[in-house]
Amino acid sequence: MSNNRVSRRQFLSYTLTGVGGFMAAGMLMPMLRFAIDPVLQKHDGGDFVKTEHKIADLTEAPVKVDFSFEQVDAWYKSNVTNVAWVYKNGDQIIALSPVCKHLGCMVDWGGDSAHPDQFFCPCHAGRYEKNGKNVAGTPPLGPLDEFEVQDQDGYLMIGPAKANTLVK
Amino acid sequence: MYFNANDVTSFMAQKDFIDTAIVPLVSIDLSSEKMKQSGAEVDFVMSLTSFIEQQFKGRLLVMPPFSYMTTLKNDELPQQLEAQLHNAGFKHVFFITCDHAWTTSGDIVNIIWLPAIPLESMDASVKKSIMEDQLRQVIPMLSTKWAQI
Repeated sequence: MSNNRVSRRQFLSYTLTGVGGFMAAGMLMPMLRFAIDPVLQKHDGGDFVKTEHKIADLTEAPVKVDFSFEQVDAWYKSNVTNVAWVYKNGDQIIALSPVCKHLGCMVDWGGDSAHPDQFFCPCHAGRYEKNGKNVAGTPPLGPLDEFEVQDQDGYLMIGPAKANTLVK
Repeated sequence: MYFNANDVTSFMAQKDFIDTAIVPLVSIDLSSEKMKQSGAEVDFVMSLTSFIEQQFKGRLLVMPPFSYMTTLKNDELPQQLEAQLHNAGFKHVFFITCDHAWTTSGDIVNIIWLPAIPLESMDASVKKSIMEDQLRQVIPMLSTKWAQI
């Protein structure tokens, strides 16, 4: 027998503290979980999508890159294929959205034979320079959006769209 | 643009730019031997129409499909629809269909007829390249009309 024996009073207070602690934790934990919930939320659509294009194959000339992801629209799930115009500017990889800022058609690189080095919108003859800047005098009022890009094992990953950062 | 509340709102605001209407004409056959073929046609017409919409969103309004059965078919339907759409301010009206019978109306209205390709058993990438080929056939018809203004 050890010489510091636990008295009845001590035993009861230890037990009550222990049990009370568990009960308090049981109440506080869910509250804490709810409080920090927004931080733990998974962000849909903000993820990067892997494409079949190798970064090494990209050149200064814009190429069309397809990437598809699953889109959930209420209870309707669909596979959406999106397109980006991707090219290299020095070491920087640039992915531009093909959606015309005028009314949302798909622009084409070099689609107008008179302006082979520009993006061309076939709907209302809108034009954009290579960095996405809208050509003054054509219908679009803003530059093409840009996609965030990442490199994964040499393959191009395309992320969420953001406002064009190349046009000063 | 589609014929829904959101797109129609932007259509009303941008009427000058959206001068083309696309009307899918789909035939529905409920006889047991042709029902599947009929379904494949609807599938094809609707996929192609959505693809055209995606490419030329800012210039055209896609109407909800007009469907009919052989017995309920009205041969004047395209002409009447076209007149209504012209009244509503559309300069160009295109009908897109897999039903060969409409090609006889091709002199009076713009009919885009394409043979249905069964898409149901294809995987996504094959489907996509086929739809791109089909789209390439449709684009010249649209752009020649657009160039005629």
